Amino acid sequence: MIRVPLLLFAGMTALAQPQAQPMSEHRHEPGDAGGMVMNANTDTLPRGCSAISRDYEFTVAVGRPYAEGIPGMIFGMSDHELRVQPCSRISVTLVNEDAVRHQWMVHGLPVYLYPQGMFHIEANAGHSRRGTFIAPADDRTYLVHCGMPQHMENGMKGQLVVGEGSGDLWSVKEVGGSFTRSAYLPAGYPWLLLPALLLGAGLALMTRRFD
Amino acid sequence: MNRKLLYCLSLLLVALCLPPQWYPPALRLQLSEWFGAAPWRPLPATITAGTGRPQMFCPQATAGWKNRQVVENVEIAAVDTCQADNPWLIAAAVRGVNNVSEATLRKSGLTADAVVKGADLDGDGDPDEIHIRLEVAELNGSSAEQQEAVTRYALAPGIHPGLWVFAPKLAGMTTENFVSDRARPDLRLPSPALRVEQGDRVSITLENTHYMPHTLHLHGADHGFVLADGQGNDGVPFSSEQPVLPGASRTYFLQPRQTGTMFYHCHVQPHVHVMMGLQGLFVIEPNRPHNWLQTINPGAGKVRVSSAAVREEYGQEYDLHYLDLDRELSEGVQKYTDPRLVTRYMHREYDITDASSDYFTLNGLSFPYTFRESLVVADRGERIKLRVLNGGAKGLALHTHGHKFIATHRDGAALPPASRSPRDVIWLATSQRAELDLLTTNDGLHAYGPGIWPFHDHQNRGITTDGIGPGGNISAIVYRQYLGEDGWPKTRGISWDNYFTAEYYRKQIPVWQSYAADLLGEPGADPRMVTRLLGLALGIGLLLGLLATRKRP
Repeated sequence: MIRVPLLLFAGMTALAQPQAQPMSEHRHEPGDAGGMVMNANTDTLPRGCSAISRDYEFTVAVGRPYAEGIPGMIFGMSDHELRVQPCSRISVTLVNEDAVRHQWMVHGLPVYLYPQGMFHIEANAGHSRRGTFIAPADDRTYLVHCGMPQHMENGMKGQLVVGEGSGDLWSVKEVGGSFTRSAYLPAGYPWLLLPALLLGAGLALMTRRFD
Repeated sequence: MNRKLLYCLSLLLVALCLPPQWYPPALRLQLSEWFGAAPWRPLPATITAGTGRPQMFCPQATAGWKNRQVVENVEIAAVDTCQADNPWLIAAAVRGVNNVSEATLRKSGLTADAVVKGADLDGDGDPDEIHIRLEVAELNGSSAEQQEAVTRYALAPGIHPGLWVFAPKLAGMTTENFVSDRARPDLRLPSPALRVEQGDRVSITLENTHYMPHTLHLHGADHGFVLADGQGNDGVPFSSEQPVLPGASRTYFLQPRQTGTMFYHCHVQPHVHVMMGLQGLFVIEPNRPHNWLQTINPGAGKVRVSSAAVREEYGQEYDLHYLDLDRELSEGVQKYTDPRLVTRYMHREYDITDASSDYFTLNGLSFPYTFRESLVVADRGERIKLRVLNGGAKGLALHTHGHKFIATHRDGAALPPASRSPRDVIWLATSQRAELDLLTTNDGLHAYGPGIWPFHDHQNRGITTDGIGPGGNISAIVYRQYLGEDGWPKTRGISWDNYFTAEYYRKQIPVWQSYAADLLGEPGADPRMVTRLLGLALGIGLLLGLLATRKRP
């Protein structure tokens, strides 16, 4: 269970390997038991940017503690919304406070710069990982989420607002309302309808008497 | 005056338009006696009812995955069917992710702690400290802002029931790619078959990535009730320990003294959790020198790196995991998005005592998808080991055409040689396991010669998908001469086009439409009856209107 020798040559082999398999079309940084970063970009400017406008350093802590006491939410993030300037360089340190894996992924980035339009940080249980990418030049709101099955649906959804953004997303804690399928009516709610129905009918009958 | 005429007209319309098939039978018979038969008119013509575009029968695994190959000094057997597991994942599961190169690890798709192999405690040339990590994944779950299921996994064309599985730790994204909602190929039903050696010090960490509490129970495998540190080790919330809450983890430990084909499953509300798919094969192999085991067999199926003991006696080994599913239960995760409402539905509103199974799977798939990867491919004169688990709610009457199996072990224990008689139906109650010998010696008893010989649950609901057949857990023993280049069997019967459409399993396509449509196809509607029905409705409408607007005296 000693990983030291592997880590020593990990960086070299990662560079030397031909990128043939489906998973490896992304730019991996050497992964280890602590996590990994995919498609990091520290210096290539997106189209329309002439220079890095600003550097940001964010720390996003994730896990159960950030969902505690919020009805229907299982996993959460310390920050569900990050606001940045266009063409800025963003470094995110993902701090995982749970005993299970979590991810921080941005979707919809330009595909010429980020394979499949995504930037991905993954931190194993109790670990943290830092990754850097550069925001595009236009005002837009990007989906940020944990890609583990049902983690986004159960709270780990956020947004990255570049410039003015392009409107808030649904179901982002303290940002967008929950797009729930359930109406949350009390048990026996049809009985609540009865008095209102009777009242309506009574009012209609009364108008008839004034005819 | 006009109103009276209208009354008469509407009554006449109703009387004339009422379909004679709706008259009381006695009246209809009396009328035919009085007036004789109506003139001959053919019944409505047969129509083409439903059609669907068939999916590709035999999508190929990524190039080279099927071949026999050596990765990290691990000899990985070839697979003859359309689809095969990722050989790098297999190599990493054999060597341990800590003993393979960074490149192999990345190609395996596993995380750097998914299966860690440590010291060789007995000095026989293989590791005896094994640490497996499992997560819990929901397949075909719901997402509030979209209609279709997410982390989608199809059992059969168009069949996507909600499922929970124990999953090996797979790094990165859980879908095929970032524009797809389909689960990546190794994130699937069933939970992986696990293999360890007798006497190994085995740790299994359950990392609960799901939104409900879960545990791990090692059914039939030798394990202590509590560990030295006082932690419960049986996985039972009412007798041994607190369940593992979302975001938490627990490491179970065992050092099995006995070999055999066992079972692992969640033991939290097991009547729901086990039936959602939180179950897998757990195989304990005899201790042998240089016995590097394939600790994870994703999706069960052919074992590409068999243990030393199996290789001594058998040419091939297959893990066959049967599971039936109730649509009413699996719908729970799709109806609601609030985890509290899902919990209420699945654990209080759903009642297993009123349940019936709708889907029947072999290694996580139903016919015709079973033919993509769960065929037993044989030559004459082979001896093949089948490890069978019935994880479903119903018994399994496993029957094979063209052969008779010999059960050598039941529930992990060897049967006395005198009782090992060849059988063509093997009964497995819920959660039972059997180890079967399949001999392809053409002697009229063990085998009848080469062919495409189906094997399936002979309780006939098991060969359907929600009541539509052929479906369910049908697979086949296929002799190599009957297998095409691409791995698809050279079947000789009717076209499979309909079976590869979602419409067929949605009951929209008549079962014999493709080859006996003239005989027993779908009858069309009778346009004359439709006209009469419109007249009837007009008459009734008129009558009602007249009654509603009549003047009070």
